[in-house]
Amino acid sequence: MSASWKQILFQILLLVSCRYINTKTPGPTPPPLVPITSLPTDERSVILEGESHTEKVELLNPVNLALACTWTGNQNKQPNITGFWRKDGDEVENSQVTVQLEGDQYKLKRVFSIVSEESLGSYSCVFGSEEAKIEFVLAAPQIGEVRDKPIVSYVGDSGVIACKMDETKPKPITWNWYKANGTDKEQIFAVAEPPRHVIKNEERKTKLVVYNLTEADGGLYYCGAVYAISTTMSHVELKVISFQEPLKPFIAILIEVIVLVAGILLYERCQSKKDYTAGNGTIEQTNTMTQGENNGPEEGSSVRQRKV
Amino acid sequence: MTNVRPKAEGQSDEDEVPDGGWGWVLVGALFVSTSLVFGLMRSLGIFFVEFVQYFEESAQAISWISSTGLAAQQFFSPLGAALCNAYDARVVVMTGGCLAGLGLILASQATCLVHLYLTMGLISGLGWGLVFTPMVATVMANFTRRRALVLGVGFSSIGLSSFAFNPLFQLLVETYAWRGALLILGALSLNIVPCGALIRPRRRSKAPAKLDSESGSSRAAVLRRVSSYLELSLLLERPYVTYTLAVTLLNVGYFVPYFHLVAHSRQAGFSEYQAAFVMSAAGATDILGRVASGWFSDLGHFRSIHLLTVWTALAGVFIMLLPVSSSAGSYAALMAISLFYGFCSGALTSLVFAVVPMIVGVERVMGALGLLQLIESGAGLLGTPLSGLLKDITGNYMASFVVAGGFLVLGSLTIATLPHYFSCKEPPPPQRRSLDEKDEGLHPELEQMHSSPSDPNHRGVNEVSSNPQECVG
Repeated sequence: MSASWKQILFQILLLVSCRYINTKTPGPTPPPLVPITSLPTDERSVILEGESHTEKVELLNPVNLALACTWTGNQNKQPNITGFWRKDGDEVENSQVTVQLEGDQYKLKRVFSIVSEESLGSYSCVFGSEEAKIEFVLAAPQIGEVRDKPIVSYVGDSGVIACKMDETKPKPITWNWYKANGTDKEQIFAVAEPPRHVIKNEERKTKLVVYNLTEADGGLYYCGAVYAISTTMSHVELKVISFQEPLKPFIAILIEVIVLVAGILLYERCQSKKDYTAGNGTIEQTNTMTQGENNGPEEGSSVRQRKV
Repeated sequence: MTNVRPKAEGQSDEDEVPDGGWGWVLVGALFVSTSLVFGLMRSLGIFFVEFVQYFEESAQAISWISSTGLAAQQFFSPLGAALCNAYDARVVVMTGGCLAGLGLILASQATCLVHLYLTMGLISGLGWGLVFTPMVATVMANFTRRRALVLGVGFSSIGLSSFAFNPLFQLLVETYAWRGALLILGALSLNIVPCGALIRPRRRSKAPAKLDSESGSSRAAVLRRVSSYLELSLLLERPYVTYTLAVTLLNVGYFVPYFHLVAHSRQAGFSEYQAAFVMSAAGATDILGRVASGWFSDLGHFRSIHLLTVWTALAGVFIMLLPVSSSAGSYAALMAISLFYGFCSGALTSLVFAVVPMIVGVERVMGALGLLQLIESGAGLLGTPLSGLLKDITGNYMASFVVAGGFLVLGSLTIATLPHYFSCKEPPPPQRRSLDEKDEGLHPELEQMHSSPSDPNHRGVNEVSSNPQECVG
């Protein structure tokens, strides 16, 4: 009988302590959060003293970028001023705030999520009614040297187009090549057999070799440096000409040379003929003349006997 | 004006040789052919960028193309001279022009770097070697009093044409790619052939004289003939050897500023454009110096050999001053010294060849020039790497320039050791010692001329040039 009493006592004890435990549970669990992509954060800030300023920002990877604008203000330093943000000329929604004058400066800061190519562009913070403007130009590293003259190659020959990323800029993940097809760009893939296009990638340099060129291969080619955030493009024009092209001036000059040589030799022959008729016409002189005439470029050695 | 007149032998030659008439036509031919040889060589740099990209070779491997071409031109100079002595200058120059053009035309089809060495380097170089020395010797034989001036005018074409060729080649490469551009260049080089055609055919040749005197074609006879064509006997004469040594020393230092001035200016802190402009300005005064020194030397107030010494020494001094002026940081000083250097270096080039007939006699000029070119080529190949080495060791160009200038001054001192250097009048030029008896007998008028020279300076040279061995154009 005492065992059952102990059991009941024990159970009552458990109930009480469990209740205590129950009441000690932590407060209401927070509602489940929307999953935030774990982007790194970065900040760019500019202090403006004049009316406007442009800042170039180079981005490689998606990032949460905080842009901070600080303006020293103008003559009449109002205690409050409106400020808003603009992206690519369009005002960012709900970005208009009232900025307080803090220690002689107006500060405006906003965090933007830069994730893809669309997020890149020009972000501007504007104070007042266009009184001061700071522009942040967000872009992936640009290709510096763009060759403006076309690369010329011959039909049947191989053409080499190269793109290079500056040493000072970060290296791209990879390179892609595109050929312009009307207004579209068509990506070029290196086909194994037969090898028509060969792409050689080398960190900061890339080379596209096109074998067995045809006239259709001419046109605009785009090389794209691929970064996590976007791909920067640069273009080069390839011109394919047939071998007849340089042949025309070549033949023209050849004809000119032949005409000159023939002219000079003919002139000489005429002169010597004139001297022959005008001169004393002795036999030895005739020999001299004919030998002189015979000494054209066609003959090789000139072994002549002089008779005095 | 006709020169091919049916007169007695000695008479017609003496009328041709004095300055003027057909000689000026030959100066024009020299102008064109020199520009197509050296002006072209200097502007080949534009192709090198294309070659580096197309053949994927290093810049140094590509630069060997022009080194091969220059070396071949200088190496084959004695061959050109010998062929000219044996046969006819006209044929040799025309063949050289064809070879030069052929080399470039073949180069346009090259598929690997070795092809370029063989075509642009060897074949074209051979062609250039067959063109340059014969043309220079022919022009010199046609002038006596105005020798230095016509050489100055002829060589000024190098500077002028490299001004013109640089943008032209750039345009050709952009329009036709390097293959088409080389093809067109080959055709341009063929223009040397009409220049060669302008040389008057020689009416006498050494060959019959030698054939008569030599007994059959035994080995010794052939060797003797070849050595006479090459004028190898010159190597045993002290004046010629001294002069060759002086020119060799000169060549060691001469090219250094061309290669290193731009780099040195950049190192001294000037911008790319400033450095390039210094080079162009030096090039402009170079052209001026060539013509001016030629004209001045022919006025006759001073002996050409003295003037040559002065110009060489001055050029050496200015080269030595180049690093000093730029180390002070003053662009004006660098520019001034470069202008003076350009003038002096141009001035000495027109005299270097003009002096040769006075040392060896006009009839041996052909062979003398050939050997001179060959021997001085070694110096040119030595000078630039040496200066580069000095720069690598010391870290700046001061030592290279000082050494280069020192070599020039040394060369000018060597010229001073020539016999009869310190006399105010020109000594009579050496006569050909190995004249055959037959030849002398054949030209009694010449003998009379030889024995009664009125003006030892010019007439002596004049008569000697109407010697049958002369390769007159």
